[in-house]
Amino acid sequence: MDGYPLGSLDHNVPLIVVSGLSSDPPDQPAKAKGQGVLLRSDLPPLEGKEANFLESYFEEVDERGKSWTVVTREEHYRLRVKTVGRTFVLPSRRATLPETIEPLTTAPILHSPFSPLSPSSALYPDGLMNAQWIKKHQEEIPSIFVCFHTLTSDSKIAVQQDNRLKSALNGMRATLVESGYKTRLVVIILGDAEAKANLTAEIIQDRLEGVRRGTGLDPKSIFYIPPQESPSELRRVMDSIFALLYNTAIEYYRDLGRHARKKRSRGIVPQPTLPPTSGTSQTLSLPDWNFRYDFKSAIFAEFRQEIDAAIRSFEQAYEILLGQDVLDIIPSWSPRWNEARLLADIISIRCLRLHLWMGQTSLAVRRWQSHRDRISDFVDRRGRGTNNYGWQAWESRWAMVMANMIEMVEVPGLGPSTMTIFLQPEKALFGERLQPWELLHHTGYWYRIAARHLGARRTLAHRIPDDDRGAPDASPASRVASKAIRYDTYMCPPPHEEYPLNGNGINHAQLMIDCLLNARGQFQARKQHRIAAEISLECAREMATLGSWNEVLAMLRPLWEDKSFRSEWWLDISEDILWVMRRAAAETGRADIVVAIDWELMNERFTPRKKWHYDLAKSLDGVSSTSRPFITISDDVASSFISTSFAFRSKEGRAGETCLAQLSLKSEALQAAAPVTLSSIRVEFEGHLKPITLIHDSDLPTNSSETPVSVTLVALTEQLGGDAKESDESEKEDKNDGDGDEDKAKDEDEVEVEDKDDEKEGQLTGKCDLTLRPGHRQVFEMNIPLREPGQASASRVVLTYKTDTFELDYMLSLSESGKVTGWFVQGATKPRLSRPDGHILHIQPRPPKMKLRPVEPLGQFYANEPIPLRIGLYNEEDDSANVKLDIRIVGKVIPRFRVDAGEHKREVDAAEEESQVTGLALGHIASSSSLELSIHLDPAPAPTAYEIQIRADYHLESDAATPIVQVLPIHLNIVNAFEANYDLMPRLHPDPWPSLFDYEDLQDVSDGDVVQARGLAQQWCLVCHYASFATEDLDVVGLDLAVTAVTPGGRCQVVNQPELSADGMIVAPKTMYEARFGLVAQKITLDDRHPVAIDLAFVVRWRRRRQLADGESNSINVTTMTVGQYMVLGTEPRVLASVLHSSQEQAGLVRLDITIENPSSHFLTFGLVMEPSDAFAFSGSKQTTVHLLPMSRRTKTYRLLPLARGVYIRPGLVVRDKYFQKVLRVIPTEGMKIDKDGLLVWVPPAPEAEEKAEG
Amino acid sequence: MSAAIPSVACLGVIGRNKSATRLGQQLTKSHPQNNPLHISIFPSYDPTANAFTPIRNPLQFSLLLSSTIDVFDLRSKTSTASGDFGLLHAIDDRLAAYGFETNTGVRMVCIVDMRGRRVEAGGSGVAGQGGGAAGASTASSTSASAAARSSVGSVGAGLRDSEIKPVFRAMQSAYVRLLQNPFYDPDEHAPLGGKGGRRITSKKFGDDMKRIGEAWTPGVTTL
Repeated sequence: MDGYPLGSLDHNVPLIVVSGLSSDPPDQPAKAKGQGVLLRSDLPPLEGKEANFLESYFEEVDERGKSWTVVTREEHYRLRVKTVGRTFVLPSRRATLPETIEPLTTAPILHSPFSPLSPSSALYPDGLMNAQWIKKHQEEIPSIFVCFHTLTSDSKIAVQQDNRLKSALNGMRATLVESGYKTRLVVIILGDAEAKANLTAEIIQDRLEGVRRGTGLDPKSIFYIPPQESPSELRRVMDSIFALLYNTAIEYYRDLGRHARKKRSRGIVPQPTLPPTSGTSQTLSLPDWNFRYDFKSAIFAEFRQEIDAAIRSFEQAYEILLGQDVLDIIPSWSPRWNEARLLADIISIRCLRLHLWMGQTSLAVRRWQSHRDRISDFVDRRGRGTNNYGWQAWESRWAMVMANMIEMVEVPGLGPSTMTIFLQPEKALFGERLQPWELLHHTGYWYRIAARHLGARRTLAHRIPDDDRGAPDASPASRVASKAIRYDTYMCPPPHEEYPLNGNGINHAQLMIDCLLNARGQFQARKQHRIAAEISLECAREMATLGSWNEVLAMLRPLWEDKSFRSEWWLDISEDILWVMRRAAAETGRADIVVAIDWELMNERFTPRKKWHYDLAKSLDGVSSTSRPFITISDDVASSFISTSFAFRSKEGRAGETCLAQLSLKSEALQAAAPVTLSSIRVEFEGHLKPITLIHDSDLPTNSSETPVSVTLVALTEQLGGDAKESDESEKEDKNDGDGDEDKAKDEDEVEVEDKDDEKEGQLTGKCDLTLRPGHRQVFEMNIPLREPGQASASRVVLTYKTDTFELDYMLSLSESGKVTGWFVQGATKPRLSRPDGHILHIQPRPPKMKLRPVEPLGQFYANEPIPLRIGLYNEEDDSANVKLDIRIVGKVIPRFRVDAGEHKREVDAAEEESQVTGLALGHIASSSSLELSIHLDPAPAPTAYEIQIRADYHLESDAATPIVQVLPIHLNIVNAFEANYDLMPRLHPDPWPSLFDYEDLQDVSDGDVVQARGLAQQWCLVCHYASFATEDLDVVGLDLAVTAVTPGGRCQVVNQPELSADGMIVAPKTMYEARFGLVAQKITLDDRHPVAIDLAFVVRWRRRRQLADGESNSINVTTMTVGQYMVLGTEPRVLASVLHSSQEQAGLVRLDITIENPSSHFLTFGLVMEPSDAFAFSGSKQTTVHLLPMSRRTKTYRLLPLARGVYIRPGLVVRDKYFQKVLRVIPTEGMKIDKDGLLVWVPPAPEAEEKAEG
Repeated sequence: MSAAIPSVACLGVIGRNKSATRLGQQLTKSHPQNNPLHISIFPSYDPTANAFTPIRNPLQFSLLLSSTIDVFDLRSKTSTASGDFGLLHAIDDRLAAYGFETNTGVRMVCIVDMRGRRVEAGGSGVAGQGGGAAGASTASSTSASAAARSSVGSVGAGLRDSEIKPVFRAMQSAYVRLLQNPFYDPDEHAPLGGKGGRRITSKKFGDDMKRIGEAWTPGVTTL
């Protein structure tokens, strides 16, 4: 927008001149004596802070008035405010005649100095219009002249002052009227604090009225501002006054517009003051005048913010201008041609602005385009054509105009924050077929177009023949004339300035860069990064033409670093970027970038550039670099022409063994490229694998075969962490031999540094030929010793390339998950056995060959027996081993245990849950020898389970680095050796009961310490049925019954128990055995009526039979089983039946005693009834009554003669409690049993029958 | 009098951009590919030389195509499910890029030269149609020119988004035909985790693109 004359494009808003707020600049009066109308008053200007505030506020309003944004309805006014002192000069209405003119006969008709009619005007005689006229209305002739005055509060001089004011105003009014300008005069009286204090409202009102009447102002033209509390109040008051004045101002411009229209409708061509005497002596025709009037009406409409009217008038003017009668007839060599073009531009720009104000964005673009098309058509037809730099300059300007306009008008919805790329068409055009470009795009696009045309301008400028490029004074006049015809210099310099022969002309590149940077900013703000990148590239190219390589680098470096285009395989674009960047890097001496780009460009996917060396060694030729750079790049910055893969032969390996692996390097370099010889390759791993370094050895035979794949077996030498230093020297020598450089010393240093890093971890090195020809795949097969278990994955490869000029480390990542790698075989081009994640190896721990096993097979262990475990360690490794042992026992309760291994002993106390022995050093066990250790566990009190883990950590003497672990888990389930069930059966106590009447017996006679029991006694028999739950025969050497607890007041003793032989009894597993124990329970005193509870335990003493054979101490284990609690000596009466078989002589006679015991303290009566039976005959009372005293017992005896033998007989005996009528159960004792029908007595078979059975 | 009518300047297919969330959780990390799968460039009428030449060089067309990715990305947040992006942006007063995204994320871009072809308004033939557009089938070009004439006659030189739809329909069906080829592996051209991808080398697909680009003109409904 720069090229257009000042003021020609301003946003026209009403102008208000404010006087009286500041004093005049001193040089002001000097101008007054020239032509023009001087408005002045002698009253002193206002002072004070309010005046100052208003002045600054007016500046603010003025500033707002300059804005190009649309004036909305919400905005009350938009004004330009000019503050002056007490004097103001209006331009003169009439031009003066030039002094050179000879006096005329008639009085000349004088016209405005801006009119083409006035000889003094620049437009005289045939100019159309210029910016001067717009400027006059916008800046020189106000619509309203505002005078600020104050009312004096001093009543003495009030009248005098008011009169002075009146006369001053009258004077000004008169001057204005005389001048012919329709400028309104407005007075604003500023009240001050003093006035507020001294004057009442009425006085002020009267005085204002007086002033108004005295000056003939209308009431709308005089304002009084009472003193305000705060500046914001004052501002508010001023705003409301401006809003009122704004309407007045609009009226003023409406009058002017009306005037212009009136003149147009007259339809006559005014004659100039003087007929033109020079040039073509042509004057303006009627269409020219119509154009002028339309243009004026349009401008005045714009002053009034009447957009529709303005557009109408502008379009009308535009049509006239570009119609047949105006521009068509102006010869293209005339300066008026360019003036007319300028006017067309101005009108178009103003129209564009109006469209944008109305939100007609698509119409605006259409207008933009149509203007360009029409002008291009005109220039082609009438001018100098469009195929020259001048046209391109204008095209670029025209695009810039739109860009600037969009920014200045602040088109809503198109700002960077909205992220919109283009606006949808306005409603009026909705549904129409629109050009895509007619949707208003953001300014970035417009700047780009401008830049593109600038480029075209440069191309065309460079085509200017040398003849035309010389300065005009150096060439003959005729040539100058021809040049003027040939070149379009509308708003652009002539050829000798555009592209001079000597010196600098227009810096097109810089112009383009400015444009492009503007565009880039816009695109970046809207996240259009790819276009931004594209523009960066264009920018960089321009910068390259300027030779500012550092800027090029700064521009492209971000693109290079974030891999724009390259990561997305826009190869041609990335290639372009790379070449530009390489050049810039080479120029600025950035060796690292040069090498990185060369490395990248070697890739065959880029198109080969002719005559390019494609040799890394020559990379830095011509690049000035102070020191030999050491460059490190990785594959995420620059892609590589070498692709690598790493594969292990198998998925799994074992520590201590080796694993085959292949490193494959494929050169994807261009065929023209030179072979690359790497100096070393380093493969790094994640996990427990040492890095592998392959060093180039030129002595080795070079693989010159032409096969696309060559597989080389590389022998690796291993350096352990500690051994690094010893081999350091030799390796260094090797390296130096291999390199054979002049700068050996430097190399050595570097090698040393490298090695120091590696010393910590140790490494594997190999030597081979590392030359890679383009398209060749070099596969290195290595046998990698595996040391530690775990997972190892090849993480990256570092390729080192050294030349005399630089050293390069290129890092390639291998750890891409899911990458499929295969195994190469000599002679085949494709890998075999492809599998994903081939670069990952699971290293299993070294298989332990140390054997751990129990010396003898583990049997069943039982509760209450000590557990001895004997474990043998058998070293089946090839070498002697240094063993440490851990023993860990887990269970509920761990008893004390002892570990015994030769001279190493350890004892651990009982513990809960877990108990362990750790780090029991067993020392060396020689190869194929063994060591025995024993673990003794104390007896477990009850059945339980133990988990015993015996873990031997060892390493071989020959390979101390590899730890090996062997583990023996033992599960011990401890069970009870015996199980038993019990029956407590009553027996008849043979002793008589103590008599209540026997005083002596009952009385406590203490014999020493022992208290003799005198209470009732009962005899019982405990029958234990026990079985061995062992898996083998056991020797039971003793059976005991233990009375563990008796209720106080009672006592209990075992009276008989089974006797076993000294060797004991063999108890077979899963067989029931019976043991009977006699028990006598007795109360201490007879008075004690409570029953007695007894707790019994069955004790089995046993031992293992097997142990006897060993000859060791056959320890006897004691298993105690609780029998339970029994209640004895109750107070209920009971009936005990006992049987006594007769001797041999009295064949088969059975005596049945029925003993009724009455331990209660009651007198009881029982009835006994004996039923006769077929099975036996009996003697005794068939029916009888037994009376029992308290604490007594009586026995009734029956003699039975069984009729059968060897069977049970059932005596039908019923004992009934007479009083309660309750049948008592008859309790059987030995040789009897009972079922639900009653008592059964066993009749043993006859002796002869027994003999028979035995026989 | 001759009038300029729009023609296809370039057809491009850009690799898929699905961030794979729809394909499966484990693939969420995969990068958008955005790699060029196919680029066809068509000559435009050059009135100064009265010949058909491409309006830009291949590099510039590559840049133009790649620049549309930004617009796709920008619009994809608010885009419709149909995949038709309509006008992506106008590059300048002559070129405009239209876009379409398949439901697998493959993007098709049609760069239209608004003044790419010339018709004699009311005249009999297409000037210089055979000049640059070698191999254009005469049948399609005559029908195209006839349609173009009618469109120019009835309305201005503008273009509606819907007029590009046949191009995308045809491109999509060509792409579907390509996918139906068992030897075409889409993953090879837009690998999920890997870098880059290959371009479409199918001659049939290229011919299809060539046919579409040469046959299209405003008003053509089937290609």
